[in-house]
Amino acid sequence: MFYLSSLLVLALLVGTIFIVPVRHKVWTALAFVALAAIAVAVPAIGVLAGAPTVVLASNISSMLGVGSLSIDPLAAIFLLIIAVAGVATLLYSRGYIAPYLKKKSSAHISLHYTALAVLVLSMMLVVMANGGFLFLFAWELMTIASFLLILFDAERAEVLRAALAYLIMMHVGFIFLVAGFVGLESITANTTFSSLAACFGEGKNLGVFILFLLGFGMKAGLFPMHVWLPEAHPAAPSHVSAIMSGVMIKTGVYGVLRVVSQMSDPAQIHTAGVVILGAGVVTGLWGVILAAMQNDVKRLLAYSSIENVGVIFIGLGIATLANAAGNATIMNLALCGALLHTINHSLFKSLLFFGAGNIYSQMHTTLLDRFGGVAKHMPVTAILFLLATMAICALPPLNGFVGEFMIYLGMLGSVRDGINTLYAAGGLMALALIGGIVVLAFTKLYSTVFLGSPRHHHVAESEEVDNLRIAAMAIPALGIIVIGLFPQFALLVVERVASSLGGGVGLLQTSTIMATLWKVSLTAIILIIIIALLYTIKSRAQRSRTISEGPTWGCGFTSPNIRMQYTGESFSEGLQSIATSLTQNTVEGRAVGKSEIFPSSHNYNVRHKDKIDRLLAEWWVELLRIINKRMMNLRTGRINNYILFALLFLIAIVVLSLFNII
Amino acid sequence: MGIALNTLLMIVVALSIPGVINRTRAILAGRKGLPFVQHIRNVRLLLRKGSVYSTTTTALFRIAPAVYLGAAIVAMLFMPVADLYPLISFEGDVICFAYTLALARVAIILAAMDTGSSFEGMGAAREALYGALIEPALMIGFATLAMFCGYTSFADIFAHEQSFNAQLTIVMFLIAYLFISIAFVESGRVPVDDPRTHLELTMIHEVMCLDYSGIDMGMIHIAGWLKTACFSMIAANAIAATCCFHWWFATPLAILLTGISIGVVESTQARNKLIRNTTFIVTISALAALIFFIGFLLQSDINI
Repeated sequence: MFYLSSLLVLALLVGTIFIVPVRHKVWTALAFVALAAIAVAVPAIGVLAGAPTVVLASNISSMLGVGSLSIDPLAAIFLLIIAVAGVATLLYSRGYIAPYLKKKSSAHISLHYTALAVLVLSMMLVVMANGGFLFLFAWELMTIASFLLILFDAERAEVLRAALAYLIMMHVGFIFLVAGFVGLESITANTTFSSLAACFGEGKNLGVFILFLLGFGMKAGLFPMHVWLPEAHPAAPSHVSAIMSGVMIKTGVYGVLRVVSQMSDPAQIHTAGVVILGAGVVTGLWGVILAAMQNDVKRLLAYSSIENVGVIFIGLGIATLANAAGNATIMNLALCGALLHTINHSLFKSLLFFGAGNIYSQMHTTLLDRFGGVAKHMPVTAILFLLATMAICALPPLNGFVGEFMIYLGMLGSVRDGINTLYAAGGLMALALIGGIVVLAFTKLYSTVFLGSPRHHHVAESEEVDNLRIAAMAIPALGIIVIGLFPQFALLVVERVASSLGGGVGLLQTSTIMATLWKVSLTAIILIIIIALLYTIKSRAQRSRTISEGPTWGCGFTSPNIRMQYTGESFSEGLQSIATSLTQNTVEGRAVGKSEIFPSSHNYNVRHKDKIDRLLAEWWVELLRIINKRMMNLRTGRINNYILFALLFLIAIVVLSLFNII
Repeated sequence: MGIALNTLLMIVVALSIPGVINRTRAILAGRKGLPFVQHIRNVRLLLRKGSVYSTTTTALFRIAPAVYLGAAIVAMLFMPVADLYPLISFEGDVICFAYTLALARVAIILAAMDTGSSFEGMGAAREALYGALIEPALMIGFATLAMFCGYTSFADIFAHEQSFNAQLTIVMFLIAYLFISIAFVESGRVPVDDPRTHLELTMIHEVMCLDYSGIDMGMIHIAGWLKTACFSMIAANAIAATCCFHWWFATPLAILLTGISIGVVESTQARNKLIRNTTFIVTISALAALIFFIGFLLQSDINI
């Protein structure tokens, strides 16, 4: 009860952000978030270390109905992710918001920081709530807080549009969740997650699962409900994108895990597994192909988040299928992989968005082809961004590799043991292709922004950002390196969660995964040593040689210029020629024709828009417009008509109540 | 002892394959040809030279060759030579192998982009695309091996000698064919790319290292040999597993199999038009899926 009351007090005190002077608002918000982070992290670490589930408050009766808050291992791991990302985000926000302090009103800044603190607190509440009204309340609070955060730059029309689209889509998702809970209550007369077990008993009520999957999938960005991500992230400030993309969309993953873990009938679990795996494969492939085609840093990162959610769902799907087949080892392997990837993604995606924030705050654009050679002006950002890039490409020896390694192991294990062979092989091929295209997308991003020569004069005027932002970025960077080099310790944590979901049988007892991860760790260290050794030998040998510098070799062409560099658009041109049917391309201006020997100045701008965007947005808008038009006919402007409508309405009510319909 | 011999044999394979390719080409063209060790002499020369660096580049450009070679060396350390044992081996090392090679690829792509040259950008973009498209073939190839042999590490897959049966032989020969095809793509040989032309005309691999010289270039060459040797050794192991599972059989097989097949293809075929390459590579991935399915059918003893 103590924790609950302190959390409540914290939540109420958040309002004080409005009172303090404008320069101190960030520290006030940080203090709140840090306090909340410590308050939940302590019991969470305890639970992960083996303590029993901590019940913070049971049966809180309020106007929100009855609910309880508790920390079980699954909640604990998400709490830790939220706590770390929350603190890093607040630390980062100071430098990012600083230039706006003079431009925006004090209330505006207060609103932003209050929303940020509320977002972190509400996410904590989401993972601690045991279902029902309390959960929905926290979920809605999270949506509204993030909506306000996206709206920070509301003067820009596209920000307003993106924020509204986000709000609408989140509420469509919310309706699915409400429908899910209503269905649950009508079946079991209870709305807690644990009552789902009774609901799903003997393989009934798969529809409830589908409703929850749709509701949570909207937040997580599952295909085809992902369209809000690439709109919202470029519109939001970078630290907001970081916490939304790194953490908030994971609450969708959390929800699906909660729901699926309540199933007990093998046939039903199998169906759920196929659905989840299928959703993961489509989401992952769609996300990564679209990511590779984007020409905007933050849009690319947003699509990559969709891809990573896909990867997590592939892992969950394989785990669920293995569970249906009764193979606990493979289930735990894939589940640990998915959980580890969830943690990993929160680390490297926050770091990537922070990096994007750094370059945006210096160059005031996120268009890929305006950059080039930023590494020379912002070396620390460049190194940290490279670290995150390599981690997201799942390259050893960093953390991204370890998570995907375990998912792969689960799939190879399925194939080897002959359970769900074809599903696992399909997942394997998809994940391999995703892994390959991620490399394309992120080498494109990194090399266009940080490498080569500057394509715009802004680059030359940019300089490294303040130390506090670098310090904030160091938090996820440290996580990336530590989990990458010593995955065996991360396994201990996720294994505890996986075994709590899988009903007791731990991975550590049933497989040699621990020994394997020790060897992975050893390999990573060998790799680093060999690379360091080679580099040292090379540098030493070069001391006695003539080393000279000159311009880049132009292959005999004597006047190459900066505009001839490969752009982001040309880098992914090969992929576009294959995947052209996935996007709708809008072209402004005209490309240089093949027959133009001395081309005049051209303006050429191409955008690759998601076809699903059109499917979800434009068709509905068109439908609404038609309905609206019909309705307009009723608005005649004559008072006698309106009285007639009122009369018809009353008659309708009388008639309907006569037949006991209402 | 076995481990040392294993590593040594891998190095021998890596050093010999380019020589065999050159000899094959010379014989087929009726030329006298280069000495067998000419490529080693060339690299030795490179290793003794100084370097020129582009002023556009950053430190990344200088570290990349070390990463490229280091990753290739680690990938090689996973590879068993038939009945010998590799230095590193654990459950799932096939995945580690694939992603270590991906690390090598990322290093060289970023280094190429670091120069700001449009030629190198072209090569890098192609390498990234072809690398992405070949990845499923690699993974599903490993999955086929895992399904058939019951293990997920190279050493265990090949070391647990199977009793001879027709199913195994069929699948293993298909796997060998698959991995030689992958070796063609990964090492940028005809029909995917032609390394014999003047550098700018070689559209993928060599064009990416236009700005490298001296030691860096030497390291990149050595890494290329090692990568080819790894794929070649997988193919040789697969064949050796069906008839004669000993290192003295697998080593020459690995050298000759890839060396001669690359030599013959380069002497008889022209390079693909670049636009055809994607089709070519996707076909290999489709083939890999087909091989997996054949393996699946054969293993589940379905009466067809």
